[in-house]
Amino acid sequence: MGGYNRALSLSGSPGLAADQVLRRLTCLPTPGSVSSCSSWSPPGLPAGARRWRAEGRASQAETLVGRGRGGGGAGALGSPRRTAAMEQAPPDPERQLQPAPLEPLGCPDAGLGAAVGKEAAGAGEEDSGVDTMPHNNFWLKKIEISVSEAEKRTGRNAMNMQETYTAYLIETRSVEHTDGQSVLTDSLWRRYSEFELLRNYLLVYYPHIVVPPLPEKRAEFVWHKLSADNMDPDFVERRRIGLENFLLRIASHPILCRDKIFYLFLTQEGNWKETVNETGFQLKADSRLKALNATFRVKNPDKRFTDLKHYSDELQSVISHLLRVRARVADRLYGVYKVHGNYGRVFSEWSAIEKEMGDGLQSAGHHMDVYASSIDDILEDEEHYADQLKEYLFYAEALRAVCRKHELMQYDLEMAAQDLASKKQQCEELATGTVRTFSLKGMTTKLFGQETPEQREARIKVLEEQINEGEQQLKSKNLEGREFVKNAWADIERFKEQKNRDLKEALISYAVMQISMCKKGIQVWTNAKECFSKM
Amino acid sequence: MAGGPPKALQSTGPHSLRDMPHPLAGSSSEEAVGGDSTPSPDLLMARSFGDKDLILPNGGTPAGTSSPASSSSLLNRLQLDDDIDGETRDLFVIVDDPKKHVCTMETYITYRITTKSTRVEFDLPEYSVRRRYQDFDWLRSKLEESQPTHLIPPLPEKFVVKGVVDRFSEEFVETRRKALDKFLKRITDHPVLSFNEHFNVFLTAKDLNAYKKQGIALLTRMGESVKHVTGGYKLRTRPLEFAAIGDYLDTFALKLGTIDRIAQRIIKEEIEYLVELREYGPVYSTWSTLEGELAEPLEGVSACIGNCSTALEELTDDMTEDFLPVLREYILYSDSMKSVLKKRDQVQAEYEAKLEAVALRKEDRPKVPADVEKCQDRMECFNADLKADMERWQNNKRQDFRQLLMGMADKNIQYYEKCLMAWESIIPLLQEKQEAK
Repeated sequence: MGGYNRALSLSGSPGLAADQVLRRLTCLPTPGSVSSCSSWSPPGLPAGARRWRAEGRASQAETLVGRGRGGGGAGALGSPRRTAAMEQAPPDPERQLQPAPLEPLGCPDAGLGAAVGKEAAGAGEEDSGVDTMPHNNFWLKKIEISVSEAEKRTGRNAMNMQETYTAYLIETRSVEHTDGQSVLTDSLWRRYSEFELLRNYLLVYYPHIVVPPLPEKRAEFVWHKLSADNMDPDFVERRRIGLENFLLRIASHPILCRDKIFYLFLTQEGNWKETVNETGFQLKADSRLKALNATFRVKNPDKRFTDLKHYSDELQSVISHLLRVRARVADRLYGVYKVHGNYGRVFSEWSAIEKEMGDGLQSAGHHMDVYASSIDDILEDEEHYADQLKEYLFYAEALRAVCRKHELMQYDLEMAAQDLASKKQQCEELATGTVRTFSLKGMTTKLFGQETPEQREARIKVLEEQINEGEQQLKSKNLEGREFVKNAWADIERFKEQKNRDLKEALISYAVMQISMCKKGIQVWTNAKECFSKM
Repeated sequence: MAGGPPKALQSTGPHSLRDMPHPLAGSSSEEAVGGDSTPSPDLLMARSFGDKDLILPNGGTPAGTSSPASSSSLLNRLQLDDDIDGETRDLFVIVDDPKKHVCTMETYITYRITTKSTRVEFDLPEYSVRRRYQDFDWLRSKLEESQPTHLIPPLPEKFVVKGVVDRFSEEFVETRRKALDKFLKRITDHPVLSFNEHFNVFLTAKDLNAYKKQGIALLTRMGESVKHVTGGYKLRTRPLEFAAIGDYLDTFALKLGTIDRIAQRIIKEEIEYLVELREYGPVYSTWSTLEGELAEPLEGVSACIGNCSTALEELTDDMTEDFLPVLREYILYSDSMKSVLKKRDQVQAEYEAKLEAVALRKEDRPKVPADVEKCQDRMECFNADLKADMERWQNNKRQDFRQLLMGMADKNIQYYEKCLMAWESIIPLLQEKQEAK
C-alpha cells in the first residue's frame, strides 16, 4: 500500500540539534513490500526504536519496538526490576478488580529517565534490559509487536448475514537478549471488533488506568482529498498503524502489560473472545459510566479530579477544533499548489511561439509542475501529525473516564455513608424511644399502637447488624477509594509526562515537516527563477 | 513628389524618395524636421532645430540604399548601440510623488513628472510638472493620432469600478504610478515618439489645458492622411511577415490572458488559505492556556503560524500590485498593436486598390500618378516603422517578462524564506526542556 509511505528525505537541517528527531522520521527501506513501511514510531518511544516490518516473514528487525516505558525501557512485557513474584500465575482477572498491589511499578521515573537519556544520546540499542537475568518466562522476554498486514475478508456475522471486514495480522516476536535475534513466536489475525473487546475489558478491570485509545472507527476530520470510506486503502493503512500503536502502548504500560487477557490476545487466536466473555467483565461494567453526562451530586468532590475532568473536556474540545481547522488548511493548501500546475501547461504553449524566450519558459513550466505535484507527499506526511493529535483526543476521553469512575466511586461512598448514618439514627431512636425521623414503622406504630419491647429489640438487633455490615463496607469502600485515588493518580502522573513528551515531539516533527516544505518551495522557485533569467 | 503643403511632420511622413534628405546631412530649416507641423510657436516652448549634428527623426535615406528607409529603422540601427551604452541617453523622465487634490467638483490624484534632458528640443535642462491620469490619456490619443504608424505603449486601465477598488488607496495609486512611469519611459526610449511635440509639451508645459484647447486644430498631416483611409478598402492578403506578427499577437494575448486568470486564481486560493491559517494559529494559543509544560511550545507554534500568515499576506499583496497589472498592460499593448496592424492593412489596401484602378484605366501615362505614389510611400514607411517597432517591442517584451517572472519567483522565494525562518526559530524552543529532563 504505497499510499502512505512516508520517506521524508529531510535535507538535514543544519543547526537542527534534533538529529534524533530526524532519525525518527526516516523510513526503513523496505524494497517493494506489500505492507509498506510506516515510519511513524509512536512518540515517546526511545530514539532509534523503529517500526519493524515483515517482508514475507523475513525478519528485518532492527531494534526493539514495544519497549516498556516503565522499567527503564526494557522488554515490553517485562520490567527488569520486576520481582520473580510477578511472573507467577497469570493475573487472575478476578483479582484485578481490586486495587493493584503496592509494588514498585517498575519505578516509572527512573525508567523514564533512563529512556529519555537514551533518547538524547540517540542510541539505537537496547538498554538496561541487558542486565536482566534471562528467564524463559514470556513476561520477562523482550518482545516486538507489529500489526503487519491488513486483509479484506468476508464472513458470516452473528445473524448469518454476509459481511465484509478487514482483518489485521498481529505478529509477536521475542528477542533473545544475548544475541539480539528475534524469533517469531506468535502470529494471528484479529479484526477491529476484537480490539474493541480487549479495550472494553481493560476499562472494566483497570478503572484507575488511563487506558490507551483505539484509532477511530470511522474516518473523521478528513480533508477533502482523503476518503472517508472505511474500506479505503489509505484509511486501512492508517488504522493498521493505529492498532499497532495501541498494542505497543499497552505493552509498554507497567501495569497493563501484565494482563493475561492481553497476553492471550496476542497468542491465542481461537476462543479468545469466549475467554474474555467468561471473565464476566460485562456484568461488572458499571452501566452508569455509559451515561457520560449524567450528573451525580457528589457532596465532597475531590478537586483534583474535578479539575482533571474539566481539563479533559477542554482538551477534547480544543483538539477537535484544531483537527477540523487543520483539515481545512490542508484543503486550501492543496488548491494553491495544484493551480500552479496550470502554469506548466501555459508556459509550454507560450514557449512555442517564442524564439529566445522559449527555452526558459519551457523549463520553468516544468518546475511549476514539480511544485504542484509536491503537495501530495507533503500532506500525506501531515496526516501522521493529525493522527498523533487524534490519539490524544481519544486519550482525553480515557482520562475523563477515570475521573468519571472516581466520581461514581465517591458518589457510592457518600450514598453508603448516608445510608449508614440514617440507619444509625434509626437505631438510636428505637433505643431511646424518641422519634425524630419520620419512618413508616413509626407512623404505623403511632396509629396502630406501640410495638412490643421484644419486637423493638429484634429490630434494633437487625439494624445493629446492618450497621456493622455497613461500617465494614464503608471501611472497605473508603480503603478502595483511597487506593483508587493513589493508583489513579500515579497513572495520571505517568500519563501527563507521556503526553507532554509525545506532544512536544509531535510539534517538533510538525515543525520539521514545515521546514522541509519551505525548503522544497525555495528550491523549486529558485530553479524556476534561474530558468526565467535565461529567457 | 510629395508636393503641396510643407511637410511639417514630426514623424516619418509620406516623402518621396527624392525628397528625403540624408538624415545626417544638414538640411534646410524648412525641410528639416522639426517639423513645425504645427502650431504657431507662441503656443509652444521655443525650440530650435538648427543643430545639424542631431540625428533627426524624419526623412532620411541613407545614401546607397534604395529602400525608402523610414527614419525609425535607421535610427533603430543607430540607436541600438546607444541603448547598450546608456551613456548617450539624453532624456530621463520619472513619475512620482502622487498627491490627492480635493476640489468642489471632484477629487483626483496628480503625479509629479520630472524631466531631465540635454536635447535641444528642451529649453531648460530640467522640468517638473504635475499631471493627472486624463492628461496621460490625452497624450496617448495625441500620439496615436500623430504617429499612427508606430506602436504606442498602453496606459493602465482607465475605468475603475467604484466601490470595488478604492481609487485613492495607497496600493492602487502606487500601482498606477508605476504603470504611468513605465508608459513615459517606453515613450522616452522610442527614437521617434520621444521627439513628438505633444510629448514634449506634456513634459514641459505649465498649463497643459491651454495647450490642449489648441490641440483640436493641430492634426498632423499624417494623422489626417491616415484618417482619410476609411474602412472602405479591404485588404486581400496580408503579407507573410505581418500575418505572422498578427498571429503571434493573437496567440500571445491569448496566453497572457490565461496566465492572468491562473495568477488571479492562485491569489484567490492563497487568500482562502490565509483565512484558514488565521483561524488555525489561535487554536494553538487557546490550547496553550490549558497546559503547563506544553504552554510555551504551543504558544510558539501559534506565533509561528501567525508569522507565516503575515508573510503570505505580503505575497498576495505583492502579486496583486506588481504582477497582475503588468500582465494586463501587455494584453492592452498587444490589443493596440493589432489595431495598428489593421491600419497598416488599410494603407496597403488603399494603395493596391488605387494601383489596380490605374491599371484598369489603361492610360498611357508612363509614370504612376502622384497619389498612387504617395500611397505606396505611405505604405512602405508604415511597414518599415512597424517592423522596426515590432523588433524593439520584442526586445523590450523579453526584458519585461524576464523581470516580471523573476520577480514572481523572487516573491515566492522570499515568502518561503520568511516561513522557514519562523519554523526554524521555534525548534530550539520546542526542544528546550526535553534535554533538561
